[in-house]
Amino acid sequence: MTDLRRAAGPLAAILGLVIVLALLQASGLAYWQGLFINLGIFLILVLSLNLSSGFTGVFSLGHIGFMALGAYGSAILTLPLREKQEYLPNLPAGLAGVHFDFHLGPFPLGFLLATLVAAVLVALVALLVGLVLMRLSGHFVAVATLGFLVIVRVILFNADHFTRGSRTFSNVTPYTDLWWVWAWALVVLYVVRRIKRSPFGRAMLAQREDRWAAQSIGIAVMPPRLLAFVVSAFFTAVAGSLYAHFITSFSPTVFYFDLTFRVITMLVVGGMGSVSGSVIGTVLVVGLAEALRRIEDATLLYGMSQIILAVIFILIIVFRREGLLGQREIALDRLFVKGGEPSS
Amino acid sequence: MKGKLFALVVIASLLLAACGGAATTAAPSGPIKIGGGFALTGAESSLDVPAANGAKLALKEINAAGGVLGRQVELVIHDSQYKMDVTAQIAKQFVEQDQVVAVIGFTDTDSVLASGPTIQAAGLPFITAGATSPKLPTQVGDKMFLACFGDNVQAAVGAEYGFKNYGKTAYLLWDKGVEYTTLLSGYFKARFTELGGTLALEDSYETDATDFSAQIAKVKALPQQPDFYFISAMPYNVGPVVKQFRDAGLTGPIIGGDGYDTPDLVSVAGSAAENVFFTTHALMDATGGTEGIKKFIAAYKTEYGHDPENAFAALGYDTMYLIVDAIKRAGSTDSAAIKKAIEETKNYPGITGSITFSPEAHVPQKGVTVIAIKDGKFTLGAELVPEKVPAP
Repeated sequence: MTDLRRAAGPLAAILGLVIVLALLQASGLAYWQGLFINLGIFLILVLSLNLSSGFTGVFSLGHIGFMALGAYGSAILTLPLREKQEYLPNLPAGLAGVHFDFHLGPFPLGFLLATLVAAVLVALVALLVGLVLMRLSGHFVAVATLGFLVIVRVILFNADHFTRGSRTFSNVTPYTDLWWVWAWALVVLYVVRRIKRSPFGRAMLAQREDRWAAQSIGIAVMPPRLLAFVVSAFFTAVAGSLYAHFITSFSPTVFYFDLTFRVITMLVVGGMGSVSGSVIGTVLVVGLAEALRRIEDATLLYGMSQIILAVIFILIIVFRREGLLGQREIALDRLFVKGGEPSS
Repeated sequence: MKGKLFALVVIASLLLAACGGAATTAAPSGPIKIGGGFALTGAESSLDVPAANGAKLALKEINAAGGVLGRQVELVIHDSQYKMDVTAQIAKQFVEQDQVVAVIGFTDTDSVLASGPTIQAAGLPFITAGATSPKLPTQVGDKMFLACFGDNVQAAVGAEYGFKNYGKTAYLLWDKGVEYTTLLSGYFKARFTELGGTLALEDSYETDATDFSAQIAKVKALPQQPDFYFISAMPYNVGPVVKQFRDAGLTGPIIGGDGYDTPDLVSVAGSAAENVFFTTHALMDATGGTEGIKKFIAAYKTEYGHDPENAFAALGYDTMYLIVDAIKRAGSTDSAAIKKAIEETKNYPGITGSITFSPEAHVPQKGVTVIAIKDGKFTLGAELVPEKVPAP
């Protein structure tokens, strides 16, 4: 009986989300759909960053590099042949013939495959990078991951046979819709939450709190850190793929400090280490940024929204350093368990 | 338990509040709405703010003169913050919430590509004020127009001007971090080699570079200095790169594109900016310019308290007049009719030059202004039309 009730909370939340998405889809309002797509993409980014930085305490400034690789990787794969010949004439023969633009009935199977292939490749990159970088701690790892971000950017600029270099990569098919984004977001939410409660997650938190104490009772530092880093890179690449097929044109400059700090803001506002915090932080920052932008249009004080967001961020750092939720979680699965009368 | 419920209520009410803002309806007899997308904050703002100011100035004049079709005109401006997700969103805002009849704005290719497809899909005409990539109409679609010349045109003028006045060998340096500078240098090379010129050396740098000594060392190592240097740079780099070339003793003519059209060039490079020439849309000079430019500069100064920062102010001004002119000739606010009227624009006398469109050509063949820097001032070098333009 408790099992059913435990499942009731999350199921009710998912049902609520599906109803909201279905209403949005039916309304045909592209602006609100776009807002929810952005929200979902940022949610995936924040949850992934939380997994690697929040849980393990290994602060990464380089995650947007994984996003960039995911975006370019999947976009190169899904680009239809005609566009490929026109925009990427110098692709190596092996890649030039690949076009993941096929459908299974109405379902764009190629997009799913391209996203997965790109994300797996990015996860492999993360494994190689992580083997070196996850040995570092504190400021050193932040600087080293920042270096990774810069390296990715330089590679994207110079690998112009694959990326068109500094020129805008355009004509990507707009596959991303509400359902794609939120299906992925739910998967990420589920996986991250499961990892937090698993032995691996406990090990991540333990070595974050006190590395020496954790090691003294036999908890290795490297495996949980590496796992978090690789899984997190995988999902960040997924977010990159969703972003690429939503915006449909982008250049390497898009994936740099600006996006990095927006994602970090959402993570810190919500609380590093809390999955629910990531959700709340993302909803608050994305919602607030959009609301302030609308006020900006009315008051003509352009730039004000960014100043206000920055001030809020500073206030949170000063007065509530652990973020809104800290490491606590909102337990949806207890929503229908403790409270109210049991209705046999 | 209460805490959880409270959190849920807060989230639900936030969502409701957010949705409440959606309701906007367009009054058919109110002002004619035109969307203005500009990156008013962020790295592109030194070009977009003047462009937006120019457009607002034109709007004020148009409305003071009675508007168009007996209605006032409203320019709905949204700041894209030079963020691509925000840029994509404001395109949707123009189409759905503001229900504009046409869109103008932006001075860079990335922003136009991020917003263009939505505007194209809605069937609205879109004139960019200053994004100079001649590929835009083929990339975005048949509703896309440029108010400025394409990079292939200004690069051809740069190549021909250098070839005729200075000689057959050139040095080519470009910023490889930006599409505009990459395209510009490519078109320059195409036209210059076609003329029979040779490039003594080709080199590039990163867009965030501040030190150009590595590139300069390679130039100095050349057995013979080229007749001129073509440097394709962004506004924030032109000052330092020119100054460092001069400090290293390289005194030959430097030629560039409209990225040089910024007050920073003279204020950063100082006397080093002598013997620098660049192609741009118009000379913003209150004494040496044309009648239209003089009037524009005076009006701009009264409105904003200072001279126009660069030619993008004039482009924003022209773009606004261009779209209103098309609405007038279309005689309606129907988007298809406006688009057709834009395509029928013949020799529209803009202050940045005469503008002509056709169903085939959505990039105007405008004259290019070559500016020469003399005694720390922008002076008119030449008004040119290229003899031959490289394919986009």
